[in-house]
Amino acid sequence: MNAIEFILSGMLAAATPFLLAALGELVAERAGVLNLGVEGMMALGAALAFIVVYNGGGHFEGFIVAALGGIFVSLLFAFVALGLRANQVATGLAIGILGAGLSAFFGKSYESFTVTGLNQIQIPVLSNIPVVGGLFTQDCIVWLSLLASAGLWYMFAYTKIGLLLRAVGENPKAAQSIGYPVIAIRVGAVAFGGLMAGIAGAYASTVYTPLWADGMIAGRGWIAVALVVFGTWMVGRVFLGACLFGMLSLAGTVVQLTGLAIPSQLLASLPYLVTIIVLGIISSNRRLLKLNGIASLGETYER
Amino acid sequence: MTNPMNRRNFIKGATMASVMSTLVSRAAAATAEDPLSIALVIPSPVADVGWGHALAEGLNVVKAAYGDAVQLTIVENIYEGPDADRIMNKIVAEGAKVLVAGSFGYQNGAMQIARRNPDVTVLHASGFMVAPNFSPFAAQYSQGTYLLGMAAAAVSKTGKLGSVSAFAIPELITSINAFALGAQAINPDIEVSVVWLNSWFDPAKAQEATKALAAQDCDVVFSNAQDTPSVVAQCEELGIYSFNLNSSMKTYAPKTYLGCVETDWSPFFKASIDAHVANTFTGANAFLGMAEGVVKMVDWSTDIPADTMSQIKETEAKIADGSFSPFTGPILKADGSDGVPAGSVMTTPEVISMDWHVKGVTTPLPN
Repeated sequence: MNAIEFILSGMLAAATPFLLAALGELVAERAGVLNLGVEGMMALGAALAFIVVYNGGGHFEGFIVAALGGIFVSLLFAFVALGLRANQVATGLAIGILGAGLSAFFGKSYESFTVTGLNQIQIPVLSNIPVVGGLFTQDCIVWLSLLASAGLWYMFAYTKIGLLLRAVGENPKAAQSIGYPVIAIRVGAVAFGGLMAGIAGAYASTVYTPLWADGMIAGRGWIAVALVVFGTWMVGRVFLGACLFGMLSLAGTVVQLTGLAIPSQLLASLPYLVTIIVLGIISSNRRLLKLNGIASLGETYER
Repeated sequence: MTNPMNRRNFIKGATMASVMSTLVSRAAAATAEDPLSIALVIPSPVADVGWGHALAEGLNVVKAAYGDAVQLTIVENIYEGPDADRIMNKIVAEGAKVLVAGSFGYQNGAMQIARRNPDVTVLHASGFMVAPNFSPFAAQYSQGTYLLGMAAAAVSKTGKLGSVSAFAIPELITSINAFALGAQAINPDIEVSVVWLNSWFDPAKAQEATKALAAQDCDVVFSNAQDTPSVVAQCEELGIYSFNLNSSMKTYAPKTYLGCVETDWSPFFKASIDAHVANTFTGANAFLGMAEGVVKMVDWSTDIPADTMSQIKETEAKIADGSFSPFTGPILKADGSDGVPAGSVMTTPEVISMDWHVKGVTTPLPN
């Protein structure tokens, strides 16, 4: 198998934890709430799902418990940041640390244990195409995460609820004045973010790297937050960004084996560099920022 | 595990303890027969396997030998940096007389403690600084990886071996070089590819790297400085051989586990603590191998052909009695230049500071 085939076949699975968490964060940010606790919510989801699967609960149940764990932590965030109107950045960071701490606490007696991942599904014909065939041989969660991307894209483009979320994020006062419950909608969006982060963590600890080790999320939650900015809050771009980040993550290992003289440290830092560049570009002039940014992102809303 | 503690608990407890300790320490100073307090500080959690586990096990043996005369405290999950300095200071202020600093990055903080507290003995992992009451210690993993290289060459069908390694520092480079040299002793044409993770801890990346090695036809993978069974478990799934350092991970790969370079720190810890108690401790660079009983080979795979196995055993005996070193010339560097001339053997300082690959390691070193 050459390097290209290797990257093509592994790219989507590598992208899935980023993608799931970023989609959740995208919904929360579109509604105007910046939750920086993604890393912690992922860690908690990872620990809970691992514990369920290790004790024979099955992957599906693991994902459910992880989702509930993510929702629980995100509701805590919502209570403090939206209910008590605390600073969202500070609250998000605190909640993130709490999530990481809880994951270490629950996972303590499972340190370095392993479980079995999910089987990959071969798609007839497509999976047998040379070179790109590997792209079509993935586990079911990868396919579900693609479906989720499509669903969210459709929701934002064509449905009332998508429009509502955007309205609440762009101009909460206006949304409130025509009778929509801004806080309730935002809490819902934040909870969805928690759910997705929990699932992303579950994928990381029970499917992609089926083992538990404290700290195993290793910054992937932060990449997901960066990815939302990278994708300028658009589902399609976030999806492409996740694929790119997944690709770069694999390239960082496989390029070393091809003998090309590209420093592996540079490849490892590329996702972050690219995010900074994108941030720089969209903040460089007001028009671009207005076009792409979320007007009320991170602002405390009072009726 | 004796009195396990993590950072969170530690900080919680520390506030209360500091109030108490002022009162208690005066009273305690009066009684001469206090247990000797030993503390271990490590950057990772103590799991069933890995680096932290090996250190903790070594101290547990000492504790078992001394019984109630020794009190052992383990503080895990301490990141290298100011946090670690503060916590080590705290531990010593609370009466620890032997401090085992279990990570390279604790070096400066631990050295300061040693200078300020002449009555405290400090044992520091993988460092190079020495003081009268401060000994750096490291294992000669290369002795073991050489033997596993021989085994790997014998079981490999593709003639390609791989390694998933954390950072390109001399300690890890040395292990890989010995692995390559051992393999070449059996099959001169064998190649070794290395993936550097540039991270001490990222299990997902370690598994990606393992898959990448397998995709390049490597059928034996050396899990170098990976504390979790990420690489070993992935190799079992891929059906390729693997081995690791410090403590056996055979349970994670019952079919494809090639063997383990186990480190048993207890002889070193026991000797150091005996010396501390007898007031005869003198700091020295401890580069420990088979002769000291620190490096041990365990869980050899039954797939290794019998004639190779007897060759391995023979070499092992020669390494243990000091009549053979893996770094005996002639050794060529990866770029083809002379590394070690024929007939000479690398000295310990040369081995400790090795920053080049031997011929046969095909991937470049990161700058």
